[in-house]
Order: sequence, then structure tokens, then C-alpha cells
Amino acid sequence: MNRKYDIHILACTFLVVLFSCKHSEGEYHNLNDKIEAESKNYHGTAISSEGLIDGVKTVEITEGEHTFLIPERKSQIKSFACIECHNTGLDKLQSKDIKKAHWDIALAHADENTMNCATCHNGDEMNSLHTLTGNKIDFNNSYKLCAQCHSSQFEDWKGGAHGKKVAGWAPPRASYTCVNCHNPHDPGFKSRWPSRYNTEQVEAPQAESGH
Amino acid sequence: MSEKKKWYSLDLGLNRKKSDTTCGCGKTEGGCGSHKPEMTDDAFLEAAVNASIGEEVRKDGFEQVFDVKMDRRSAFKKLTASLLIGAGAVSTSCSVISGDDSKEKAQIDWEEQFKGNYKLMNDDEKKATVDRLMRSYELRTGKNISMTAENAADDVLFGYAFNISKCQGYMDCVNACVEENNQDRDSQMQYIRIHEMKDGKGFNFNEADDNYYHEVPAEGHFYMGTQCFHCDNPPCVEVCPVSATWREDDGLVVIDYDWCVGCRYCMAACPYDGRRFNWSKPEVPEAEINKNQHYLGNRMRKKGVMEKCTFCVQRSRKGQNPACVEACPTGARIFGNLLDPKSTIRWVLENKKVFRLKEDLGTEPKFWYFMD
Repeated sequence: MNRKYDIHILACTFLVVLFSCKHSEGEYHNLNDKIEAESKNYHGTAISSEGLIDGVKTVEITEGEHTFLIPERKSQIKSFACIECHNTGLDKLQSKDIKKAHWDIALAHADENTMNCATCHNGDEMNSLHTLTGNKIDFNNSYKLCAQCHSSQFEDWKGGAHGKKVAGWAPPRASYTCVNCHNPHDPGFKSRWPSRYNTEQVEAPQAESGH
Repeated sequence: MSEKKKWYSLDLGLNRKKSDTTCGCGKTEGGCGSHKPEMTDDAFLEAAVNASIGEEVRKDGFEQVFDVKMDRRSAFKKLTASLLIGAGAVSTSCSVISGDDSKEKAQIDWEEQFKGNYKLMNDDEKKATVDRLMRSYELRTGKNISMTAENAADDVLFGYAFNISKCQGYMDCVNACVEENNQDRDSQMQYIRIHEMKDGKGFNFNEADDNYYHEVPAEGHFYMGTQCFHCDNPPCVEVCPVSATWREDDGLVVIDYDWCVGCRYCMAACPYDGRRFNWSKPEVPEAEINKNQHYLGNRMRKKGVMEKCTFCVQRSRKGQNPACVEACPTGARIFGNLLDPKSTIRWVLENKKVFRLKEDLGTEPKFWYFMD
């Protein structure tokens, strides 16, 4: 009799332990499992970026398996179309009578063995660019020129690991193109002082060192 | 208002016709004792606070707790003062002399005081509290704010990736965060820290500098940022004794500032230094207040509550990127929906070599680091 009673208690304890060991959030073993399982039935969200990129003129591009929007470029270039001036040979434009143009552009991109103006600009048709092999490239697709040398950055940019989104995280995807962040004539980021708003703590270490 | 309210409402006759101005005593003016001489709200609050905590206002947090002389007399004084505050609310609302505004304010204060936990509210109740907070701000400052209480959307789980090789230490993210989230300017609160680390030493937080001020990037150093990682198994949520912090369905770990009792258990439990505490009343110049607010996000906090990064819930639930992501000039910050197989954050997780901080703790942060 007593023994039977014991077995009952043992069984109850076992059941309690069994249930209490189950973590309350224990649906998934880890975060990766959760992401994998819950994204299997992904049907899109109600949230969209469309309203956020409304004011930005974009063009759609497809590179490999990625299709997304990038900002349209030609309307953003101040002196486009180029042939408004470049309708004669360069030798004529370089005369002293004509107002100077592009005087502020100094090429700081690779070295002179690798690049000069004509590496990207098409001397025969100034309204477009050209690849190393002489194929015409539209100003809107200037990323294709960058991709010729910077292939790993190009891969990352296509996937979304390099570069920035135009507005939001939600679809449709609109990403900035190379020239929105990098000046093609001087593409490196400059060293500068950090922005330190809301921090007068900057003074503190100097004041202490004076003691 | 629904029948199943989770708090007591004080019916002060505000919703009745205006002619009905009697108070509990039945008389319409003077004589019952509850019609006290009028004091302005601010003066009253000042007097009440002075009576209850007095000089502690000017003391630092530590001293407030430990450097207090308390005898029986002062204990009674404090008790009386807090009763006075409560009686004040009732008397203002009963008073015939005080204006409609102060009556409404008292009604709002009462309802806010006795509202339920945000987590348990239904959408109507959420809307009601948000409306009250907006009205209260309008009554106090004469200015309007827009506050929302969007819920987590279906099929969304927010995740974040940080490119260590891209960050140059410009700290534009810190700036943007402070401005977006109305952080206290006096105590210089910042949710984000950018750590300057020596090359070749790995993640050595003991020797890292998160308060540098020199031209960046500095020779021989790299930079990495930390903030709240919105863990999927958050230890801060486990330890909260009052359920004032929790994980939403879209993965955001949020705080109900009105429910928080300021015990700072969560601050101690967080292994990533992600949480901040308001030792004083947060001050933001009126002109700089970001008026697009969310109940769980950047609305104005009060003294003695926890706050932290919310992945800018007021932005991200509208489809925008958090302010830090938008501000970063180098594109070191990637934000997106982990459940969308075509999202860029998913591409980063699947194609880059990613890692998280202190993964062995099992906290499952939704904040990954990677390199080019």
C-alpha cells in the first residue's frame, strides 16, 4: 500500500519536473531556428517604404538575382547634359576666351597609371560614360564602372551589406548607388572630428589632467 | 470607455453638464472646506515636492538614497505631504474657482496614475492613454505633440548588423539618436556607445575608449558601436519585478515608463550595458523636442525610470530606419526584417561572417557584427 503511494508521488514529481523544465519561450532551440521556421510562411508585411521614397526619382536595376531601385542620377547632375558645352573638340574648349569649367575637380582616385578622366568619361560622346572595353554606360548606371575594379564591394552592395538604403527597411528596396556616398573623383572618406552633440564631457579629461 | 477597465476612474463630473458645479458637500461655493484658496499648479507642485523631499532635489542619486536623516517627525511630514498631493488633485477638480483646464488636468493625472500595464491594454485603452498624454502635454505647455501606439506588425522581427570595418568613429549616430529620442541633455545621456579599440587587441572593452575626442579614424585603431541588442531571450525582462519591460512580437525589447519603479535590476542584469537610468528629470529644450513620439519610444521620460534604445520604435514601425542607421555616413549600420528572406539583413547574415557579443550567454541578441 505504502509502496503504491510512493510510486504515485514519484510519478507526480516526474511530471512536474518535466513541465517545469520546459522554458516558457521554448518553442525554438535558438534564434536561427526561430528565424528559419517563422520566415517559411512569410507573405510580406503591411508596412511599406513606398511613401518614404515618394519624393525620390528612382530607376529599377537587376543585377544577378537582386532587383531593386537606385536614385536616378542624370537629373541630379548640375551641368547635365554635357553636350550643351561639349559639342566641339576639347582643344577648342581649352582656349582662354571661354569661362573655365570643372576647375575644382582634381582626380584623387587610384593613381595616374590606373586612371585618368577618359577611364570613365567617353570623349566621343560626352553624355555617357564608357567601360574599360569601350562599351557605353548611362550616367544612371555608373555603378557598372565602379564594379569593374571594386568587385567585392559590388557583391556586398548588391546583397545589401555595403551602402545605405534611401529611406526605410521595408520593401520595396531602394538603395543608394555608389556616387550618392562616394565622390567618384575623390572616393575616400576623410578623417574629421567626431560630432559630439550633448557631450561637454569632452572638457572633463583635459581639466583633470591639469590638476 | 469599455466596461472592463483595468483601473479606477474618478468621475469628477467633467463629462456632465457644465451647470452641475456642486462638489461633494452639496454647496456650490465656499464653506465646505474643500474650496481652498487657489494656488497655481506649478506653485502647488513645488510646495508639495518641497514638503515631501525638500533638499534632496538638489542631491545626487546616491546621496538621495543613503544620505537621508529620517526621524518620526519627518516620516510623518512626508506621509502628510503625499496625502496633500492626493487631496490637492481632488480639491482642484472639485473646486468651483479653478478653471476647466486645471480640472481636466487633475482628471488626466488621476486616470494616468491608476491606468493599467500597457502590455495588458487593448487598442482602445492604448489610444486613450496616448490621447491623455498628448492632451496633458498641451495643457502644460500649450504645444502639441503627436504620439502613437502602433502595435508590432505581423511577420516582422527586427534585426541589426554592424560593419566593424566600415565604422570610422564619426559618432553621427550618437548625435542622431540623442535628437531623435529626446535624451536628457543635462546628464548627457546616450544610448549608443562607440568604442575606440586598438588594432591587434581584439574586443578589449577594458582598454577601449568610448569618450574620445580627436580626429578620427585614429591611426592604429578600429571602432565598434554597442547599444541595446534587443535580445530574443532578454535577461533584463526576466528580472523585472513589475513587468515594466518586455519583448514585443516584432522583437523589440521595450519599457513602459509609467510602470517602471526604477529598481534598476534590469540594468544589472544586462550583460551589454544597454540600459540607462534617469537620475534626474530629463531636460530637453522645448525647441529641440522631437514631437513625433511613440508611447514605448521617445516620449518624455520622468525622473527615476529606465530607458534605452528601442530601435526607434516610433520610426521602425512606420517602415523607416532607426535614426542611427539613417545618420551613419559610412553605411556601417544595416537594419531590417529577419523574417523576410529577401531582406538585406538576411543576405548579410547568410553571406557574411557574422558574430554576436557574448553568444555563450544564450541571450540571443538580434545585433550582429561583421567585417567586409
